[in-house]
Amino acid sequence: MPSLRDIRRRIGSVKSTQQITKAMKMVAAAKLRRAQEAITKARPYATLLEQSLNRIASRAGTDETAAHPLLDSRPVKKVELVVITSDRGLAGGFNSNVVRRAQRFLVENADTYEEISVSTIGRKGRDSLKARKVVTRKDYTGVHAQLSFEKAHEIAGELSERFLSGEVDAVFLLFNEFKSAIAQVVRLKQFLPVETAPAEGTASVDFLYEPSRSELLADIVPRHLDVQVWRALLDSAASEHGARMTAMEAATKNAAEMIGALSLQYNRARQAYITKELSEIVSGAESLK
Amino acid sequence: MAALTLEIVTPERRVATLQADEVRAPGVLGGFGIRENHTPFMSQLQAGRLTAVDAGREVHYAIGGGFLQVADNKVMVLADSAEEREEIDVERARRAIAEATERLRTLAAGDESYALEAARVRRAAARLEVAGK
Repeated sequence: MPSLRDIRRRIGSVKSTQQITKAMKMVAAAKLRRAQEAITKARPYATLLEQSLNRIASRAGTDETAAHPLLDSRPVKKVELVVITSDRGLAGGFNSNVVRRAQRFLVENADTYEEISVSTIGRKGRDSLKARKVVTRKDYTGVHAQLSFEKAHEIAGELSERFLSGEVDAVFLLFNEFKSAIAQVVRLKQFLPVETAPAEGTASVDFLYEPSRSELLADIVPRHLDVQVWRALLDSAASEHGARMTAMEAATKNAAEMIGALSLQYNRARQAYITKELSEIVSGAESLK
Repeated sequence: MAALTLEIVTPERRVATLQADEVRAPGVLGGFGIRENHTPFMSQLQAGRLTAVDAGREVHYAIGGGFLQVADNKVMVLADSAEEREEIDVERARRAIAEATERLRTLAAGDESYALEAARVRRAAARLEVAGK
């Protein structure tokens, strides 16, 4: 039976843990709101860009202008998997889900492709993959500290170069897609070669292009890739905060339950102590008679 | 009578959605204007001033490159950056010009970063032009 003081101390320590999880939950909620806003703000550009890209690409290759090399799909022998995780833990299954999916990808496709290289964005993914003896080609660090479109541009540029130089034949992004504050889905998305859908609507009327269709395409495709990386980063960030919020809420609830159980134990022990003292006093008084 | 709908977006946000009679934009092959019932058209833009005219009133934006698309009287500008006059940080633009010009002095025209620095100068110059300084 633990002494009264032991129980009191444990209640105290659970209480201070609860304060921390509660604070983390509130911070995550605030950050989630901002991350969601960023996603909403980035949407119009991405949508319009995709429309333009589809419109141009669906016409490219039909006449003398060739399609863009980044749209060019060739037999896939070497692939690269870009694993996007967060820099910080304590976010429930957020990071481990992605890492597990990455491992499954490596196992399932070991025979399909000649070579699979892995690169990571985010410290947690890098660390867990390293612990599982996965060799990474490159670890992009410090991306999450300050999310910027420029960083996305850099990463997209480097991946494109590897594709153009023939070092890889396809690139996939693996990240948490943001569905809602409580739902994040691990998503594997083809990044390169760029897939285009046929343009809808006014396809019968061709546009005038300035300077030329192929030059415009060469301008738009890299922008589109930047946006793809950018959206994956934003989605991942929002998912991270959502996952952390949920995890910390559960932790706070668990702490409250634990405090309840401990308080009950404490009160019982105290009552037992009082009863014991009373009976001692009574029996002491009795013996004086 | 505003005939055109102008939409300006950047990767980070939607800058503006407004009505206009006329839009003037800095195309890579020279400036051009758009009015009602313009033929479907797509153009690359360079850093410069984008102007929307609505009932004689002009609104200016400093654009940092990108491209423009017009169809069905809808003008969409996908810019790398876009700022209205009030949002422009004049001090920063001045500094950017000074720094980039300084670096350009040490570079040859064929260098990799030459084009980058030159583009910085153009963007900053566009900002100053729109800010009217």
